[in-house]
Amino acid sequence: MKVLPLVLLGVVVGAVISVLLIVLRTLPVQASAEADDIDNLYIFFLGFSGIIFGIVVLFLLVAVYRFRARPNDEREGDNIHGITWLEVVWTVIPFVIVMLCAIGGLIVLRSGDVEAQARTSGQQIHVLGYQFGWKYDYLNQEINLREQSTLVLPVNESVIFELTSADVIHSFWVPAWRMQMNATPGQTNEVSITPTKIGTYEIICAFLCGVGHTGMNSALPDSIIPKVQVVSKADFDAWVAKQKDDAAKAASSAAADSAAGSVD
Amino acid sequence: MTAVLKPTLARCLWTAPAFAALAILITVAARSIFGMSPVLQESTLLTVAYIAGGIGFIVGIGGFDYWWTWMRGGELDPNDHSQHGAHSWGDYFKFNTDHKVIGIQYIVFTFVMFLVGGMFAEVFRSELAKPGQQVLTDQQYNGLISQHGVIMIFVFMVPVFAGIGNYVIPLMIGAADMAFPRLNAVSFWLLPVAAFTLLSSFMFGSFDGGWTGYPTLSEQSGYGMTLYQLGIQLAGASSIATAVNFLVTIIAMRAPGMTLFRMPLLVWANLATSALVVAATPFIAGAQFMAMFDREMGTHFFTVAGNGDTLVYQHIFWFYSHPAVYIMILPGFGIISEVIATHARKPVFGYRAVAFSSAGIAILGFAVWAHHMFASGMEPWLRVPIMLSTLLIAIPTGIKIFSWLGTMWGGVLRMTTANLFAIGFIFTFVIGGLSGVMLAVVPFDVSITNSYFIVAHFHYVLFGGSIMTIYAGFYHWFPKVTGRMYNEILGRWHFWLTFIFSNLVFFPMHYQGLLGMPRRVADYAPEFAWSNTLISIAAFILGASTLIFVYNMIHSARHGKTGGANPWRGLTLEWMLSSPPPIFNFPTTPRVIGGPYRYGEEGAKHAIVPEVEPATVETTV
Repeated sequence: MKVLPLVLLGVVVGAVISVLLIVLRTLPVQASAEADDIDNLYIFFLGFSGIIFGIVVLFLLVAVYRFRARPNDEREGDNIHGITWLEVVWTVIPFVIVMLCAIGGLIVLRSGDVEAQARTSGQQIHVLGYQFGWKYDYLNQEINLREQSTLVLPVNESVIFELTSADVIHSFWVPAWRMQMNATPGQTNEVSITPTKIGTYEIICAFLCGVGHTGMNSALPDSIIPKVQVVSKADFDAWVAKQKDDAAKAASSAAADSAAGSVD
Repeated sequence: MTAVLKPTLARCLWTAPAFAALAILITVAARSIFGMSPVLQESTLLTVAYIAGGIGFIVGIGGFDYWWTWMRGGELDPNDHSQHGAHSWGDYFKFNTDHKVIGIQYIVFTFVMFLVGGMFAEVFRSELAKPGQQVLTDQQYNGLISQHGVIMIFVFMVPVFAGIGNYVIPLMIGAADMAFPRLNAVSFWLLPVAAFTLLSSFMFGSFDGGWTGYPTLSEQSGYGMTLYQLGIQLAGASSIATAVNFLVTIIAMRAPGMTLFRMPLLVWANLATSALVVAATPFIAGAQFMAMFDREMGTHFFTVAGNGDTLVYQHIFWFYSHPAVYIMILPGFGIISEVIATHARKPVFGYRAVAFSSAGIAILGFAVWAHHMFASGMEPWLRVPIMLSTLLIAIPTGIKIFSWLGTMWGGVLRMTTANLFAIGFIFTFVIGGLSGVMLAVVPFDVSITNSYFIVAHFHYVLFGGSIMTIYAGFYHWFPKVTGRMYNEILGRWHFWLTFIFSNLVFFPMHYQGLLGMPRRVADYAPEFAWSNTLISIAAFILGASTLIFVYNMIHSARHGKTGGANPWRGLTLEWMLSSPPPIFNFPTTPRVIGGPYRYGEEGAKHAIVPEVEPATVETTV
C-alpha cells in the first residue's frame, strides 16, 4: 500500500477534525485586549493538533484493518528495522511545529511585555487574597475598599494588579480576560490587563486555598464573591467620587464616635 | 507461638507497636529532662511513633534479620535460599528475596491501592454529579482529592512499574535475580508502610492541600499533613532503592552477548527511568523533610512569617515531580514497544531512535519543571527557556509514537487484549501529548492553568497513557507469570469499556476548563451541571469495568487454559523459560546472539540457552 496518499488523506481527515474543533470551540467572552491573541494561539493549536491526530488515527485504523491477523494466521511481519529518512522526517516535522508554537508564544508574550513597559497611565490596583475573598486598594485614587467589595474598572484603560496574599496561595482568575496570576504570601506578583468590554465578569480563585476554596468563585449561584464590573469612564469616575464621599463620611462619623466616646 | 518470633506479619504485630512505644518513651523522657513543655506534645509523639513503628514493621517482617545476624557475628550461609521463591500462597505475605515473588507482591499490592484511589475518585465524582454540595463537606472533599492523587502517584503508578520491571527485567537480561535481593525486598515492604501512613491520616483529619501539599496551606492543615510528608518520604525511599537496584542489575548483570543495543526496549526504558529516579527523587524527599521540619520542629524553610519562601517549595517539589511524570510513563513506553513488536510480529521500527528518545526524555525532563509555575510569580525570564525545553520534549515522544505506528505497518497484527490496550494507548496518549504542547506555551497556559483543562490533560497522560500501558503489560505477561491464558472475551470487554468511558470522563473536562471551571472544587457554576453529570456517570461505569479485569485475572490464574512457555511466540529471553519460570530462572547462563526483535527473519534467535554451563563463562565476560 502506498503510504504517501494515505498521509495526504490523513491531512485531509485531520483538517476536517481541526475545522470542527475550531468551529465548535467554546470559550468565554473575550473581554480584554490580551484575549484575542491568546484565542488565536488556541485556534492555531487546534489547527495542527487536529491534523496530527487525524494522521495518527488514520494510520492506526488502516494498520489494524489491513494488517490484522486472520484466524490461525501464522505469518510473520516484514523484517524491517527502520527507514532512516522517514525517521528524520518525523523528527523534523514535529520540531518545526513546536518551534512555530514557541514563536507564537514568544510573540504574544513579547507584545504583552512591550505594552506593559510602554504603559504610562492606567489603574494600579493592589489585590490582597485572603481566606476566603479579595480586598482591593486603588493606588491611583487612594481608595481602599472593604473586603468582599466589588472590583470596578473603567473600560479600555489598562490595569496593573499587584497581587499578594494574607495567608495561603490563592490565584486570581478572570476567564473572560484570559488572565490568571497567583496571590502568594510574602511576595507581590504583577499582572496587567486592559478590559475592553463593559459588563460583569466572573472572578475565580483557581488555587486550592482551604475549606472555602470552592466558595471563592463568583460564578456560584449563592456566592459571596462579587463579580468584577467593567464600566464606562464616566460611570467609573462617578463611582470613584462616591467611594471617596463614603470614605469621608465614614471617617467623620468614626471621628464623631470617638469624640463622643471620649466625653463619656 | 513461634510464629510471633519468626519473620512474619504476625511478628510485625508486636515489633511495630514496640518500636513505636519505645520511641515515645525516649521522647517523653527527653522532653521532661530538658524541661520542654508540654511533655506530651501530641504531634511530636505521633511523628516519632510513626517513624519508629515503620522501622519496627520492617524489622518484624524480617528486613534486617540477615544484616543483624552478620553484625552480631552469627552463622551465615551465603547459599541459604530459604527466603527465595514462593511455595504456597502464604509465602507472598512474607519477606521474600525472589524477584518474581517481589514483582507479584508489588503488582498485587499496588493494584489494590489503585482500587482504593479509584474508590476515592468515585466518591468525589458522586459529589460532583450535580450542582450544590450533597455528599461531602469541603474538608472531606479536599481530603479525598488529595488522597486520590497521592495514592495513585506514590503507591500505585510509580511502584507498579517497579513491580513489572522486577518480574520481567532479570528474565529479559538473562540474570538469576536482581543485584541486591534483600534491598529489593526491603524496598517492597516500605510501600505498605507508606500506604498505611498516608491512609491512616484520615484518622487525623487527612491532608487536604492537594497532592502537591504546598505551604503555606500545608502549615494550616491538621496532623494528617505531617503523615503526607512522612508517607512520601517512605515511598520515595522505596523508589530510590529500587532504582539503584535496577541500575546495577541492568548495567552489571546482562547475559554475555547482550550489548546495550541488544537490550529489549523495556530494559532501556527502565535504565532511563532508574537514572531519573535516583537523580530526582531526593529532591521531593528533601522538600518534604523541610516542610515537615517547618511543621514539627519550628524551622522556617517555607514559612512566610519566619522569612521563608513558599516559591522555593514549588521549585524543589516540581524539580522532582515533573521528572516523576516521565518516571510514570517511560517504563510504559517500554512495555508498549515489547507488546506491539511481539503482537505485530515485526521488529521495532527505529530501535535506536526509540532507545535514545528514552534517554533524551530523561535528560530533558530535568529542564522543564517550572512549566507548572507559569502563574506562580516566579522569575519572569525563566518562562521562555522552560517553554522551549517543554516544547522540545514533545519531539522524542513523537518519535516513539511514529515508531510504534511504523512497527505496526506491514506486520501481522494479533488483536489480543494486550495489543488492543497498546493501540488504544496510542490514541489516547496522542491527545494528552497535544494538549501538553498547548500548555507549554506560556500565554495560553496562564489563561487556563489550575482549571479542568489541566485535569483533562494529566488524566489523558496518566490514565490514557500510563494505565493503558500497565494493562497492556498485565495482559502481555499474564501467561508468563501464571502459566495460564486470560479470557480474551472478558479482556476485550474490559478494553472497550475502559477505552470508551475513560474518554467520556476526561475529554469533556477540556471544555469545562476552557469555560472557567477551576480544579479542586466541590461545587461549580450551573452551566457545568450536565457535563459533570455525564462525567460522573461515565466515571462509575469506568470504575465498574475494573471488576471485569479483576475477575478475569483471578479466575484465569486458577482455571485458565494452560498457555505453555511462549504463547505469543516472543523472541526475548523471558519467553525461553517455562511459565511460570523456575526458581533462579535460567538453568545455564544464556548467550545473546542477536537483537531482541528479529521477527520475520527465518529461524532467527535472540539468544540460546546452552544445555550445560560452559566452563569458560567467567573468562569470556
